[in-house]
Amino acid sequence: MTSRQLLIRDVLVLLAFAGWSLALPAYASEFVVSMALTCLMYVALSSSWGLFCGSTRYLSLATSAFFGIGAYSTALLLGDFGWVETILMGSAAAALVAVVMGAAVLHLRGTYFAVLTFGMTELIMHAVTYFEKSVTGTVGRVLTVVPERDTIYLTVLALAVLSVAVSIVVRRTRFGLALMGIGADEQRAQTLGVNTRWIKIAGFAITAAFAGAVGAAMAVRWTYIDPHTVFNPFIGFQTVLITLIGGVLTLWGPLLAAVIFSVLAESLRLQFPQIYLMSLGLLLIVCVLYLPGGLASLRWETFKGWWYDTRDWAKDIQRDLTGENEREKQRIKRREKESHFV
Amino acid sequence: MSEHTLPPLMEAHNVTVRFGGLVAVDAVSANFAPGELVGIIGPNGAGKTTFFNAISGVTAPTSGRLVAGGHNLTGRGPHRFAAHGVARTFQTPRVFPDMPVVANIEFGLKFAGRRPRKYIFWGEERDVPWVLRDASSILSLIGLSAQAELPAAAITPSQQRLLEIGMALATRPKLLLLDEVAAGLTEAEIEDMARLIRRLRDELDLTVIWIEHAVTTLLRHVERVIVLHQGRKIADDTPANVVRNPEVIEAYLGDEMAESADMDMEVAP
Repeated sequence: MTSRQLLIRDVLVLLAFAGWSLALPAYASEFVVSMALTCLMYVALSSSWGLFCGSTRYLSLATSAFFGIGAYSTALLLGDFGWVETILMGSAAAALVAVVMGAAVLHLRGTYFAVLTFGMTELIMHAVTYFEKSVTGTVGRVLTVVPERDTIYLTVLALAVLSVAVSIVVRRTRFGLALMGIGADEQRAQTLGVNTRWIKIAGFAITAAFAGAVGAAMAVRWTYIDPHTVFNPFIGFQTVLITLIGGVLTLWGPLLAAVIFSVLAESLRLQFPQIYLMSLGLLLIVCVLYLPGGLASLRWETFKGWWYDTRDWAKDIQRDLTGENEREKQRIKRREKESHFV
Repeated sequence: MSEHTLPPLMEAHNVTVRFGGLVAVDAVSANFAPGELVGIIGPNGAGKTTFFNAISGVTAPTSGRLVAGGHNLTGRGPHRFAAHGVARTFQTPRVFPDMPVVANIEFGLKFAGRRPRKYIFWGEERDVPWVLRDASSILSLIGLSAQAELPAAAITPSQQRLLEIGMALATRPKLLLLDEVAAGLTEAEIEDMARLIRRLRDELDLTVIWIEHAVTTLLRHVERVIVLHQGRKIADDTPANVVRNPEVIEAYLGDEMAESADMDMEVAP
């Protein structure tokens, strides 16, 4: 497919997805809508995470920090400001923190970057807790003004669609190419003229802006907000897992995996919480070992390849068990011996 | 040494690079004039690649000054050097393996080699050679047109070296730094590479600085040689004079220079 055809396909899939999600609250039950909301939240989080962290291979665990910052700004601002303004401010606050954090840690790579972003998340959480304790006197806040369920749903849907749309656009710009270059070989990209420092900070800020906005919108789901709920590192981990399993470099992988995950989460978490976490871990292991491109890289050929591999493996075991391998070796040895006499 | 009337493209003043206690490059000064083809030689660990890293901005010098085309770039990032027309290749080819060959070339054209914004509708810079204006002509210059659509990981190592040069050319440089581009190539391939490098210099008016470990090959093709030894510059002269330099012979004693000494006659005019 040419690049233009791909663009048309992506936009059509996105529109279909958006239209279907838009129609969902009209006919589905309360439970399904709440599940769809979780779905959409993870779609927004993981596709915006993949936008920066996927293409540059900077594994950030700070998603929960940005999510929490967004949620807290809702707790502080909602009531004084309108719904949209609150979300915009939450998103801007998260992006601002990302710029500062990025300037400090984005020169590190690999494990160091991942650990430091995780550390920063903890730092922010404890700083907020300390601030609450010493300045306001109470830890946690109760949200009194809460918008309608449909408002929340539509907001998160808009954020999910926007994050996929931004991913589609960024892939086609110089900015996206620079991100890919940083992921492939950062120093080479620099010597070809990419100002990697600013590109990385900008990418990190975009990711954070989405996470902050999602946090700000989702905060109203809990009526009571405290640091340990909204800065829950599990949100960050889950975002990373979803994106890795879906396929970091793909556009639709994170979306696909987010849907699978939320369905798994909502249907298993209540009855069998251990099984949910185990299936998360198992899926990650299987993906890393056998499907490095993620779920979105699954093709008919992948299944065929697996089938051939299994068949050859079974054949080899069979030959081993019947002693055929041993006989083959002896035959070769005998032939070599005989060839000396010729 | 020949006289140059044009101001130098790149001036390195007392460039020193220190890694902890190790002085990799020790107060090296050198000027590179437009249109020169300069070779840098030296035994293993002489600081050749570190000197390249310094003058391409990859490693910031511990002390010293770097001026490219009249702009002081000391301590600036590699993208600033690229923007001022300094392009380089790496010792082990560092192409973008998952991208097609043509996309590797286009990368440079989209960043350091991008047309300035004032030419967005019409016009072109006057000093950019025609060959460097799009990816397909760069590909045909380096001879990889047939491989354009293959992923860069799928072409042979010697083709990857050519691609590296193409990527560097796509930034539309004035100064091209080549780091051991002939290492591991066969005799015939080395000759082709040398011919390509001379063509770049002659037809595109590039200044080329060429590091090579194999001294004999290099001395045959360059007009000026800088010899580095233990981080210091011990000679900067024509190939014919360099091979007679006692300090150089001592540095290379028992090394490749032994065979180069025989070549003395060949090089001398």
